[in-house]
Amino acid sequence: MSFRHLWAVIRKEIQHILRDRGTFILVLVTPTLVLLLMTYALAVDIEHVPIAVLDYDRSPLSRQFVQQITAGEDLDLYLSAGSIGEIEDLLVRGKIKAALIIDPGFSADLLSMRGLSLQVLIDGTEPETGGFAVDHIGWRAETFANQILSSQLQASGIALDTLQPIDLRIRAWYNPSLVPQVDLVPGLLSVVLGFPAFSVALTLAREHENRTMEQLLATPIKRIELLLGKIIPYVLAGLMNVIVIPLFAMAWFGVPFNGSFLVFLFLSVVFLFAELSMGMVIGVFMRSQSAALALSFLVVMFPGFFLTGIFFPIASLPELARMESLFLPGTQYAIITRGVFLTGIGLDVLWPYAVMLVFLGLVFTGTAALFFKKRLA
Amino acid sequence: MYIQTTDLTRKFKEKTALDQVNLEINQGELFGLVGPDGAGKTTLIRTLAGLIGISEGNVHVAGCDIGKNPESVKSQIGYMAQEFSLYNKLSVLENLQFFGELYNVPASLQAERVPGLLAFAKLTEFKHKRAAKLSGGMKKKLALACTLLHRPPILLLDEPTTGVDPVSRREFWNILNDLHIQGTTIVVSTPYMDEADRCSRVALIYDGRIVQCESPAAIRGQITGEVLKVVTDDWQKARDLILPLPGVQEVQSYGEALHILMDKVPGVSDNIQQTLEENKLNILEMRGISPRMEEAFISFIRKLNQDK
Repeated sequence: MSFRHLWAVIRKEIQHILRDRGTFILVLVTPTLVLLLMTYALAVDIEHVPIAVLDYDRSPLSRQFVQQITAGEDLDLYLSAGSIGEIEDLLVRGKIKAALIIDPGFSADLLSMRGLSLQVLIDGTEPETGGFAVDHIGWRAETFANQILSSQLQASGIALDTLQPIDLRIRAWYNPSLVPQVDLVPGLLSVVLGFPAFSVALTLAREHENRTMEQLLATPIKRIELLLGKIIPYVLAGLMNVIVIPLFAMAWFGVPFNGSFLVFLFLSVVFLFAELSMGMVIGVFMRSQSAALALSFLVVMFPGFFLTGIFFPIASLPELARMESLFLPGTQYAIITRGVFLTGIGLDVLWPYAVMLVFLGLVFTGTAALFFKKRLA
Repeated sequence: MYIQTTDLTRKFKEKTALDQVNLEINQGELFGLVGPDGAGKTTLIRTLAGLIGISEGNVHVAGCDIGKNPESVKSQIGYMAQEFSLYNKLSVLENLQFFGELYNVPASLQAERVPGLLAFAKLTEFKHKRAAKLSGGMKKKLALACTLLHRPPILLLDEPTTGVDPVSRREFWNILNDLHIQGTTIVVSTPYMDEADRCSRVALIYDGRIVQCESPAAIRGQITGEVLKVVTDDWQKARDLILPLPGVQEVQSYGEALHILMDKVPGVSDNIQQTLEENKLNILEMRGISPRMEEAFISFIRKLNQDK
């Protein structure tokens, strides 16, 4: 291998990154931007869900119940409905996400401790919000019933400390206040830091599109010199993100960084090598930039979001997808970033993932080198 | 033999692009490839450059067996693709430097040769300009300069002057002449017959086969007909009148003048004169001229098309 050739390609590619606005933005700006956007979009708690109440009981107790249910930030009373038809209309028009129907015997059943049932209607087209409403109505109903029960028992002379036989005390280690950003940001890093893979896929296709490939192939350059010369500048550009984005995440979102930065840097280089080699494989097979871009979305972006365990647990994936997730560098890297950022673990625990990343990088680069021919046809 | 192909055949899926091509080119020749579009000129030059595979036969270039080891020839040749294929985001100088590095030209030699090449290509004042901003002619000269930095003994040029203005075209050929005089072996394909006329030998490719391989003078000599130049006051009407006459092969217009390629039999030109006079056209000029490459080429292609 000639380092002169390698350096010539690296220098040319760096000049391209710096001079081509599209490439510059894709490589150095979009990762931060997407991280910011996704975190804000995904880390939002569900609040102020509008519900309607249809109270057939119309007792002081039922009015107290409704007031207590909608007292918090979670559920808002949109309307006290007069009929079931009104509720249906509101659900259809999307004005409310759930409706609570209180039967005529509500206060009598509650006071006589016979046990009572409440009906909740939810908008099934938005199951997440609907489910949220059901959960919260359920908790509040339980609390309300317990209050009534204990005051009744007290009135009849039985004093109780609590009605709950088991008291669960939950502590979330590594993210004690369960702030969603803290978990999201390290996970998203494994996707956004992989964005330069797009550019790597595009850079080979661009040489074909601009016909420069023909001129390049007529020179004595070796395949591996060309491929490495194409990938190294983007690894370097990716490293800028590796340094900038965590600092940004710590300052902006207050994400903790409990591990060693050097370990993180080292593992990030290994990840970038593996992830960008994936882009190289795409670039070798695609002759046009649009095709390379489309395939990158299909192979790099979507699996990066959905199969690397950052949103959906890998254990819940179907078996085939679980297999695929194993071969995505993002899967390994998501474990690494969460480990380094939150748990604060080092190479002693993370080395198997590093080994897997090196293995993947070699497989992808090898595939690219094998199928890249110094021939036009 | 410096460049030699033996029964060279290249098949693409459906089409046979090169069909048993046998070619011998001596060291120091300025060798022209002419032929209609799609005849196989580009495929042949790419094969010589080791850029595409060979289906059958052998190719040797400067002692390298292209079929066995296409990489070995690459430091020996300067190849220029048909379309402009340098880096638009790089400046003139950076493009030169990039290819200098890939061809292993030491930095000291690059420093020595670059000013000469820039002057040669008349690009000195544009050396810091991005390649994207150059005119078509300047781009071609830059591409040529990039292939010359390593002083290759062989130049393979695929239609280097297509789409270039006449002045730049002349400049480009003056450069090629200088290189030819310095002893560089040049293989150049061209759609322009006046350029073919400047080569030491010309091969005519038709349908993937070499149908003629001679000096330009010899090719012109083989023409089966004579050329009559006619100038009238209405060339369009004259052309329509002359074309259907017996013995007329081809009528081409050059401004007001018509070049009539006709059979070498007596009476044809008398017939033309008579027809024009009968239709009240003024004959301003009418004389036999020596056939040029263009007429020779068209005459060959017509014959080949008829035989098919």
